Amino acid sequence: MSWFQKDDAARSAPLNNPTPKGIKISSLLSEDVILYPPSGVDKAAVFERLVEAVCAKAGLDDPAAVLAKVLEREGGISTTLDTGLSLPHARLDGIDALWAGLAVLKTPLSDSKHPDLPVRVVFLFFSPNKREAFPLHLQLLRGVASLFQAELIEKLSGCAGPAAALALVRQREV
Amino acid sequence: MLSFISFWRASAIVLCDLASTAYYIGGIVEQAVGKSAPWFIFAVMAFSYTIRAVYMESCSMFVRGGVYKVVKEAMGGTLAKLSASALMFDYVLTGPISAVSAGQYLAGLLNTLFPHFRIGWHLDPAWFSVAFAIAATLYFWWENIKGIHESSDKALKIMQLTTVMAVVMMAWCFLTLWLHPAPLPPLTLNFSPEALGWATKFGWLRPVGAVGIVMAFGHSLLAMSGEESLAQVYREIEAPKMKNLERTGAVIFVYSMLLTSLVSFFAVMIIPDSVRISQYGDNLLSGLAMSVVGPHWARLLLQAFVVGVGVVILAGAANTSIVGANGVLNRLAEDGILVDWFRGLHKKYGTTHRLINLIVGMQIATILLCRGDVYMLGEAYAFGVVWSFVFKTLAVMVLRFKDRSPREFMVPGNIRAGGVELPVGLALIFLVLLATAAMNLITKKVATISGSIFTVVFFGVFVYSEHWNERHHEDAHASHEKFNLREEVDLAHVHGEFKKANRVLVAVRDPGNLLHLNKALDELNSDKTELVVFTSRIRTGLALVEEAVTMDHDEQKLFTKVLEAAEKHGKTITPMLVVSNDPFYAIVQAAQAVGASEVISGVSTKLSSDDQLERLAMTWGSLQTNGRPVRLRIIGPGTEHSEVL
Repeated sequence: MSWFQKDDAARSAPLNNPTPKGIKISSLLSEDVILYPPSGVDKAAVFERLVEAVCAKAGLDDPAAVLAKVLEREGGISTTLDTGLSLPHARLDGIDALWAGLAVLKTPLSDSKHPDLPVRVVFLFFSPNKREAFPLHLQLLRGVASLFQAELIEKLSGCAGPAAALALVRQREV
Repeated sequence: MLSFISFWRASAIVLCDLASTAYYIGGIVEQAVGKSAPWFIFAVMAFSYTIRAVYMESCSMFVRGGVYKVVKEAMGGTLAKLSASALMFDYVLTGPISAVSAGQYLAGLLNTLFPHFRIGWHLDPAWFSVAFAIAATLYFWWENIKGIHESSDKALKIMQLTTVMAVVMMAWCFLTLWLHPAPLPPLTLNFSPEALGWATKFGWLRPVGAVGIVMAFGHSLLAMSGEESLAQVYREIEAPKMKNLERTGAVIFVYSMLLTSLVSFFAVMIIPDSVRISQYGDNLLSGLAMSVVGPHWARLLLQAFVVGVGVVILAGAANTSIVGANGVLNRLAEDGILVDWFRGLHKKYGTTHRLINLIVGMQIATILLCRGDVYMLGEAYAFGVVWSFVFKTLAVMVLRFKDRSPREFMVPGNIRAGGVELPVGLALIFLVLLATAAMNLITKKVATISGSIFTVVFFGVFVYSEHWNERHHEDAHASHEKFNLREEVDLAHVHGEFKKANRVLVAVRDPGNLLHLNKALDELNSDKTELVVFTSRIRTGLALVEEAVTMDHDEQKLFTKVLEAAEKHGKTITPMLVVSNDPFYAIVQAAQAVGASEVISGVSTKLSSDDQLERLAMTWGSLQTNGRPVRLRIIGPGTEHSEVL
């Protein structure tokens, strides 16, 4: 079974949405960018497949370059939180909207940077590499960190697949 | 919490010392120089305006610009220790002379009242004043152990009461002089044998008229004892500091000029010569109250009021002397001159109780030694006052050449010649002080002997203590504040302690990088906003759980700098130290616990501003329990990155 699925109906959040409450995180997601990786995959593989999925949805034709950007950012200050949420991201030239994807891990990933902090959900996103987009970038970081608390992460792990996961995120966000 | 006081409170603290001299200066100076005493007291009070200016200039350079600090910066440690020793002599005597004088007033009143109530007692004023002085000193010892803020409250109340008394007394005296006009005191000098001291051995001095004037001026100089308290309270004054210091200086000058000078004139003009010194030498204002016009019962009531206020203000002066001496010794201890043990904080009240105990111990010993003799105390007292002023003025003058950076305030009277600004005004003040101090050495035997012994002993203690510190501590001269930590298991417990509507949290880490804190202090309105200055100690594993809550060397250094910045701005802050395993979690948890609407951080040497903001945003979201917006600000040299979440 492939864990790459697409949903053409998915929409990205417009930039003129200034407040954290204005960002509908679930609107950034669709079933094709929600992945349930099999047990045993490592963090690099999860990131790679998630980048590919989001690039495909965003119409970005060079996933390798985007992945390099994400990994470059990962080399900096940690994007993993105590809740088990990892928030890899990249600020990209040539895009005007936010694009995101989600990976839910039935078996937690170990992170070499934080061996004591198992990653259970990866929320990856790209934002425009423009100064005026940075506030939205920060608001999304805050919003995602606020939404994906331990309880939701636990429930996402128990979901049957992307459709259930998306429904759960939408329900929680209301 | 580090909080600051208004200029009214600051004035009250200084005036408790400075204005209280009105109660005993007239008697002491008249016993020394005769009926011309008020003129010299007036001259000294007028001259105090220039001393006020010297202190203001030193405070404009150093927030803690007392004698020790300024002399050290200008002329090195040895002279600084010597000047601080002289100043300590001043402070150690201020308490006893004030408290003993209060006892004399009370004894005088009680002895007047006993016959009216058909009580056949007669108190020995000397021993009664000793007992009273010890009781008052012990009372203020306890007040100071508990902390200065309460003491400044009391000082303000004391000065309010004194003002009422001064207005009533002056109005009554003017009425008396209107009904029974009296000539102004004569300007002729009539020195007592004690007041001439060793000068009788220098017969060639006699024909020089100016010498007599300097001698009399020297005998009156203790009227302005208390100016040093101006430097001691400067660190406590709220923003705008220099403006408030100017106001404080103006208040104390006008007040002491009116009270001390006028009362001295009234005493000579109204109290009959036959009883003025013989009966009221040690409680001159009681004599004044009993000599004004009006029925006996009204004068008795006035005396009771004057004595009541006198007892309170003189006891207040004893308090100010403890506060001032504690401040001086603290600076010395911070500078490694006193062994660190002295700076140990009281477990409950967080005050430097050992220093307070030392000061009060010396004051009680002085009270016992003087056996209630106010004149003897007054004779000795001027030594510390005048020599500390001499050192201070010289130091401020030297600094004019050593440190040419602009000052917020300069003593006037500067003449520019050949590109160099000559401090003519300062030089004149210095010459007057030096001439007076030198003359006092000859004329004031008690002061010269006791002051020299005390100064030499204290100087020796400072030198020995400094050497001991140097031998036992590598960083003996690193000046660090002592902090009293209050431990809370959960940050949520502190939320209720912040009463102001706005709360700002400033995260600090590097004592060399406090630019963001200074900017926050610049912008801060202490009336509306709580400023929490926060740092975290990062620990992992068991160290996190078992961490003992005492500040380490780096944290002391950091918070000392934080305190200095807050003092310089005169703004209230609350320092906070959190033990955590993640600095960003610690910042966010603390900010959310205090309900901060703004979090300010400095630029990092390791992370970009964007990375700092990203991590803060993520952490803020993961910990947030409500939707309140927060402004995150990263401030660096010439740059600020601010975002609202």
